[in-house]
Parts: sequence; structure tokens; C-alpha cells
Amino acid sequence: EAKEEGTEAAQQWEDDWDDDDVNDDFSLQLKKELESNAEKK
Amino acid sequence: IETARIFDFEEFPLRDKVTYMYYTGRLEVYNENFSAADHKLSYALNHCNPWKERNIRMILKYLIPVKLSIGILPKTSLLEKYNLTEYNNIVLAFRRGDLRLLRHALQEHEDQFLRSGVYLVLEKLELQVYQRLLKKIYIIQKQKDQNKAHQIKLDLIVRALKWLEIDMDVDEVECIMSILIYKNLVKGYFAHKSKVVVLSKQDPFPRLTGKAIN
Repeated sequence: EAKEEGTEAAQQWEDDWDDDDVNDDFSLQLKKELESNAEKK
Repeated sequence: IETARIFDFEEFPLRDKVTYMYYTGRLEVYNENFSAADHKLSYALNHCNPWKERNIRMILKYLIPVKLSIGILPKTSLLEKYNLTEYNNIVLAFRRGDLRLLRHALQEHEDQFLRSGVYLVLEKLELQVYQRLLKKIYIIQKQKDQNKAHQIKLDLIVRALKWLEIDMDVDEVECIMSILIYKNLVKGYFAHKSKVVVLSKQDPFPRLTGKAIN
């Protein structure tokens, strides 16, 4: 549907962004948190 | 308004069609018809004058929350080019499943989002961020023990949330989980007595990719 002359903004979307990678900082911290808590129990 | 029906939309000049789609698209945002809003605002974006950055920015201010609502993310380059940096952290929070960051980002730009009327739309993104967080917990658990990974203790979710500075007890978490299941963001069921969410072995975290939640 997007025409050639359409704005390039129309192409700047990701609908397939969700991945299973858990090696980013946030996930690693989350992992640490969950594991440290598990030990306490 | 009734007589308008005898006109063919296609007969109007393009710039009028773009304007019409922009305003009716905004109306759909307020009415929370996200599929219709996506269709109309995308039309406006695809057909507007590519050199009028200000107009593109105006369209994107509404289209971005709409796209997020149906599980589609804007690329960072888009946010940078049109100076929509207020969305940076929201998108990051979305990717990570970082509820704390989402809440902070909403708070930080509260005035702006309230003024343009997308605050409530953005607030509802929380459910998707919960889904993402739960998925991360699931994957982390799976790395440790493949067999038990689909059983997630509510306790574990409570801890993850506490780490994100969100104070919830087991009952509240159970409530959130049941909303996720009801909205089809999570496939699974509860073992109420043992306080465990049992995830479906097949596609436990369905993606939205273009569909609105319920």
C-alpha cells in the first residue's frame, strides 16, 4: 500500500522485534536477582 | 454529514484526504479503535508531503502509541529523525519488559502525553510489558531447568517486581496474571493452591504483531 513516493517514515517499524535473547544488561540483572533470592529461601 | 456519503473519498485532492485521515485517525485513538487508528494514521503518513517534517511529526505523535498498542515498535532512527525522544525510554522499556522504566518514562513526560491525549493509551502498554517480563523470567528459568520452566511460581514474579520497585503481593500478581491470560497475552492456567502459573507448552506468549488486545 505504501507508495514509492511515500515518506520513509512509513518503513521505520519493527513488528518482529521480540526475541529470546536474555544477554542484555537488564535480563542479566534480573537473572541475578531471581537467583540470589532463590538461595535465600 | 449524511450527504457526504454520496461523495467518493478517492475524488478528493490528496492533501485533503491526508488531513481527513489524520483527524479521523486521532478520533479513533481517543475511541481506542487501534486497528482503525493504525489504518488511518498510516494512510496519512504514507501520503503526506515527505518534506513537511512538522506534519510527519504530528502524525507520528499519535501513530507511535497506536503501533505500540498493537505490538509494533518504531525504530530508533525514526525517533531520532523526528525528534520524538520522549518515546525512547518507553520503547526501551517495552523491549526489556522493564516496568520501572515504563513508569518513569510516563512520569517524566506526563504533561506532554496528557496534552496530546495519548497518556491513557501509553498507560495501557503496561500489560504488554508484564508479558515481556514474564517471558524473560520464563526463558531464564528454562536455561536452568528445561523441564520445570513452564511452571512459574508467583513468588518469583513478586520478587522480580520488587526488584523493579513495584510492591505487589501474591494475590495482586495472580490478578495481573489472570488479566494477561484473559487478554490472550499469556497462554496457561493457574494452580491456585500451589501459587504457580502453568504456561502452555505451545506458544505461551502469543505476539500481537498488528492485532489489538481484545
